[in-house]
Amino acid sequence: MLLAVLFSNNDGNILVERFHGVPAEERLHWRSFLVKLGADNLKGAKNEELFVASHKSVYIVYTMIGDVCVYVVGKDEYDELALAEVIFVITTSVKDVCGKPPTERLFLDKYGRICLCLDEIVWKGMLENTEKERIKRLIRLKPPTEA
Amino acid sequence: MAHPFLKKDDDLDEEDEYSPFLGIEKSAVLQEARVFNDPQLDSRRCSQAIIKLLYLLNQGETFTKIEATDVFFSVTKLFQSKDSGLRRLVYLMIKELSPCADEVIIVTSSLMKDMNSKIDMYRANAIRVLCRITDGTLLTQIERYLKQAIVDKNPVVASAALVSGIHILQSNPEIVRRWSNEVQEAIQSRAALVQFHALSLLHQIKQNDRLAINKLVTSLTKGVVRSPLAQCLLIRYASQAAQESSFNSQTGDRPFYDFLEACLRHKADMVTFEAARAITELSGVTNRELTPAITVLQLFLNSSKPVLRFAAIRTLNKVAMTHPLSISGCNIDMESLISDQNRSIATLAITTLLKTGNESSIDRLMKQITNFMSDIADEFKIVVVEAIRSLCLKFPLKYRSLMNFLSSILREEGGFEYKKAIVDSIVILIRDIPDAKENGLFHLCEFIEDCEFTYLSTQILHFLGNEGPKTSDPSKYIRYIYNRVVLENATVRAGAVSALAKFGAIVDSLKPRIFTLLKRCLFDSDDEVRDRATLYLNMLEGDVVGETGNDVKEFLFGSLNVPLANLESSLQNYVPSEESFDIHSVSKEVKSQTISEKKSQSKKANPLGAPSASLATHVDAYERLLSSIPEFSNFGLLFKSSDPVELTEAETEYAVNVVKHIYDEHIVFQYNCTNTISEQLLEDVSVVVDTSEAEEFSELLSKPLKSLHYDSPGQTFVAFEKPQGVSSTGNFSNTLKFIVKEVDPSTGESDEGVEDEYQLEDVEVTAADYMKKIGVSNFKNAWESIGDDCERIDEYGLGVRDSLKEAVSAVIDILGMQPCEGTEAVSNNSRSHTCLLSGVFIGNVKVLVRLSFGIDGPKQVAMKLAVRSEAEAVSDAIHEIVASG
Repeated sequence: MLLAVLFSNNDGNILVERFHGVPAEERLHWRSFLVKLGADNLKGAKNEELFVASHKSVYIVYTMIGDVCVYVVGKDEYDELALAEVIFVITTSVKDVCGKPPTERLFLDKYGRICLCLDEIVWKGMLENTEKERIKRLIRLKPPTEA
Repeated sequence: MAHPFLKKDDDLDEEDEYSPFLGIEKSAVLQEARVFNDPQLDSRRCSQAIIKLLYLLNQGETFTKIEATDVFFSVTKLFQSKDSGLRRLVYLMIKELSPCADEVIIVTSSLMKDMNSKIDMYRANAIRVLCRITDGTLLTQIERYLKQAIVDKNPVVASAALVSGIHILQSNPEIVRRWSNEVQEAIQSRAALVQFHALSLLHQIKQNDRLAINKLVTSLTKGVVRSPLAQCLLIRYASQAAQESSFNSQTGDRPFYDFLEACLRHKADMVTFEAARAITELSGVTNRELTPAITVLQLFLNSSKPVLRFAAIRTLNKVAMTHPLSISGCNIDMESLISDQNRSIATLAITTLLKTGNESSIDRLMKQITNFMSDIADEFKIVVVEAIRSLCLKFPLKYRSLMNFLSSILREEGGFEYKKAIVDSIVILIRDIPDAKENGLFHLCEFIEDCEFTYLSTQILHFLGNEGPKTSDPSKYIRYIYNRVVLENATVRAGAVSALAKFGAIVDSLKPRIFTLLKRCLFDSDDEVRDRATLYLNMLEGDVVGETGNDVKEFLFGSLNVPLANLESSLQNYVPSEESFDIHSVSKEVKSQTISEKKSQSKKANPLGAPSASLATHVDAYERLLSSIPEFSNFGLLFKSSDPVELTEAETEYAVNVVKHIYDEHIVFQYNCTNTISEQLLEDVSVVVDTSEAEEFSELLSKPLKSLHYDSPGQTFVAFEKPQGVSSTGNFSNTLKFIVKEVDPSTGESDEGVEDEYQLEDVEVTAADYMKKIGVSNFKNAWESIGDDCERIDEYGLGVRDSLKEAVSAVIDILGMQPCEGTEAVSNNSRSHTCLLSGVFIGNVKVLVRLSFGIDGPKQVAMKLAVRSEAEAVSDAIHEIVASG
C-alpha cells in the first residue's frame, strides 16, 4: 500500500498531501516526521537526488525537485524500489506539467494539473499509471497513444 | 480572491514570492463555486473554482456535511459541459467530496451514462468514480459493465476496472470472485500495466486456493511478463509458493528456485533485487543457493543510486543475522558505505559489519566508525552503540578496544538517551566481562567529571559505590566521587555521599579518610546531603556504640525490603507529628500492573532478550516480601515467581490473582486480593485449597489476611511441600473464605459480620513453572560448549494442528523456555521449522533445546526434540514433560 504522497515547500509548508489507509489521527505525526526528515537531509541536496529511509516496516523515499520537496511513503509491496519508481513517475510528470523543475509559485500555478497527474498515478494507495506521456494525455481525457 | 491567477504572460519572477492561493478563504471559494449553477457554464471559471476547492481539501480544510453536499450537487451539474479538461476535474472532485457529502448516489445515473460512453476516457474515469461511491446493491447492477471493462481493448479502461476490482474486493469479495475468468484473460494482455493489475487482482481472488496459485505462478514463470512491476509480483508469489511447497532436501531441488535465480539476470534492477531478496528469505536457504543472490546484492552496494544501495544493505543486514559468514565477502564494499551521504545506509552498513566482522577486523572497524559517529543523529548512534555492545559480548577478548570506543564517544556531545545507552552498555560489559571491570569503572569516573545529566551521575555513583570497593585499588575512585561533592548539584552530592560511605564500610584502610571527607559534608548547604553525612558518620562509627559491621553493610548495601512505590506513597501520606515515620508500616504488597503499564513495558522490550530491569525489580520485591515472612524463611532460595494468574473475572466483587513461588521443596501461592465493594470490610481472609488433583503436594500452612479494606489490596498465602528436585504438577481448586462486615460509609463503623465464601478459578502447576526463561546470546556456542554428554534426542508426533506456528508456540508454552535468536517466529505456511530454546531448570541446571518441526499435507505435525543440559536427569525430565504434554 502506498500510504502517503506529500509535497511541501522548502519551509515545510504542505502543498499537497494525500494519505491512503492512514488513520486521521496519525496524519499529523506523519506530516511532521516527513517534514523534519526533509529539513535534516534535503538542504543543499542535488535536484532529484533520491533519499531513502525506513521507519519500522514503512519505507520512505523523498527528493527535491526545483523548490518543492516530494515524499512518498509505502509499506509491504511498496518497498524502497517500488517507491523509487513511484517518485520517478511523480517527478517527471510534475516537470512535464511545469515545463521545468518548478519553483513553489510555478507549482501552485499548475496546481490543478498536478492534482490530476497524482490522481492518475496513485489511486487509493495503488500505483496506477507509470508513463509520463500517457499521464499527460489522460489528464486531458485523451486516450493513450498505444490504444 | 485577493490574488487571482496570473496569466501566462505575467512576469513570474517578480511575483515569485506570492502564492496564487494567498489569502484564500473557504467561504469565498464556496461562494465562487456557485458559478457551477450558471445556465451558461464558463469552463475556465469552473475549473479555477474546482482547483481552489482541491487546494483547500489538500491543505486539510474540512467542509461541513451541508457544505460538501451543496458543492457536490453543484459539481454534478458540470456533466453538461463538453469541455474535457473540466470533465476530468469533475471526476476528481466527485472522488474527493464523496467521503464527506451526503446523497452521493445521485450522481450514479450520470456516471452510468459515461460508463457506456463511446469515449474511452469517460468510461475509464466513470468506472473509477463509480467504484468509489458504490455499494453492494449498485455493484450488482454495474457488474456486467465492469466485467466487460476488464477485457476492454483500451488498456486505460481495463486497468481502471482491474484496480477498482482490487478495492471492491475488500468490501464485496463474493462479487469480485466471479470475475476470475475475465481477470485471467486480462493477464494475457499485451499492455504491461494491465498485466500487472490483473496479476495482483487474480492473486488476491485466489489467495486461499494454494493449488490455483501454484498453477498460476507455474504458468506465468514459463510465459512472458511484460512489466517489471508484474515480474516483481510474480517473484513474490513464487517465493511464497516455494515456502509452502515441500523442499526436497535429498536432491536439493527447491520449487521455483531456478526461476528466482534466472530473475537475478533480468535487465530491470527492481526485478533483480526482488529475486535476490526472495532467495535470501527462503526458509533453510543453503549457502549454495545464497551465493548468486549475495553477488547481485554486492553489486548493488556500489550502485550510484542510493535507493539500490539502501535496499541491498538492508537485505544484507537481515542475512547477517542468520548467515554472517556468507556475506563476509561483501565486507570491503560495506566498509566503503560507512562514509555514505545517506546516514540510514551508513548506519545499516556499520551494524551489518559489526555482525559479520571477525575478531581480527574489529580494530580497523572501530577506527572507521569513530569518524562516522560525529556526523550522525543520536537515534542512529544508539543503534550503533547497541550493536557494539552485542559485539563485545560475542568477542569478550576485544573488550579493551570496544570499551575505549564507548568511553571516547561518551565524552563527545550527545543527548540523554544516547548517553544513557552508552552508560548502560558499559555497565553490562562490566557485569558480564570481569576483566573489563576496572577499565569500565575508570571510564565511568571520567564521565561523571563532566556529566550534565543528574540521573546518569547518580546512577553511576551508586554503581561505583557497589563495585568500586571490591576492586584491587579502591582508593583511586575516591577522588572522583568526592569531586562530585564539591562541584555538583544537591542530588548528585547526596549520591556521592552515599557512595563514599560504602567505601568506608567495606574498606577498613580507607575508613579514616572517608570520615574526614564525610565530616566536611556536614556543612553542606543542602539538608539531604547533611542528613546523609550525619547518618553515615554515625553508622560507620557505630561499632563504638554497638552496631556491628554487618549491620552497617546490610543498611548500606541491602535494600529497604519494601517496594519503592509503596514507600513513596506512604511518605506522601505521612503527616508530620510526634510519632516518627515507621518503615514497617509500609505495605510490602507488590501491586499488580495495570494493563496500560504492561503495554508500555512490552513496547520497550529489551533488545538483548535479557530480563528487563523492572522485571528484575519485581522478582526482587517478591523475594524480599517472602523472606520477611518467618514461616517461609527455611524454604531456601526462591527459584522462580510466576506472573500473576487471574482467578476471578474482571469487574467482580472481589478481584483475586495468584502468584506461584517455586522453591526446591516447596511451593507458595500468594493470593493478591482486592475488595471492590466500598460498603464492605473483609476479615480473616484465607483461601481454602483442595489438592485432590495434586497428589504430590501436601499443604504445610496457610497465612490468612487479617483484614481487607475497600480498594486496598492485601495478600494471603498458602504453602505446600513437594518432593525435592521433582517437577510435580497438579490442579488446585480454590475457595476464598472470609468474614464480611457491612460498613457505614459516613461513620466508618462496621457490624458484627457473617462468614462467607467465594469460589475462585482453579490454579495449575505445570512443568513450565519449574523452568526459568534465561536466554543465551549465541545459541550455537552455548550448544557446543554444553556438550553432548547429557544429550537426549527423540521424535514425537504432535497430531493434527492448524499450522506449524500453532504447534511451535504450544511446545514453547509447555516447556516455558526462552526462544533464542528469534526462532519462535514461524513464517506463514512454512512446512518445516527449527526452534531454539534455552532456560534454567529447577536445581539451577542449564538446559538447551533444539526443536525441529515438520508438517505434512493432512497437517500432521512431527517433531524432533534434542535436549542438552548439565544433568542427564534433567534432559530426561524435559522429554517426559513433552511426552506427557
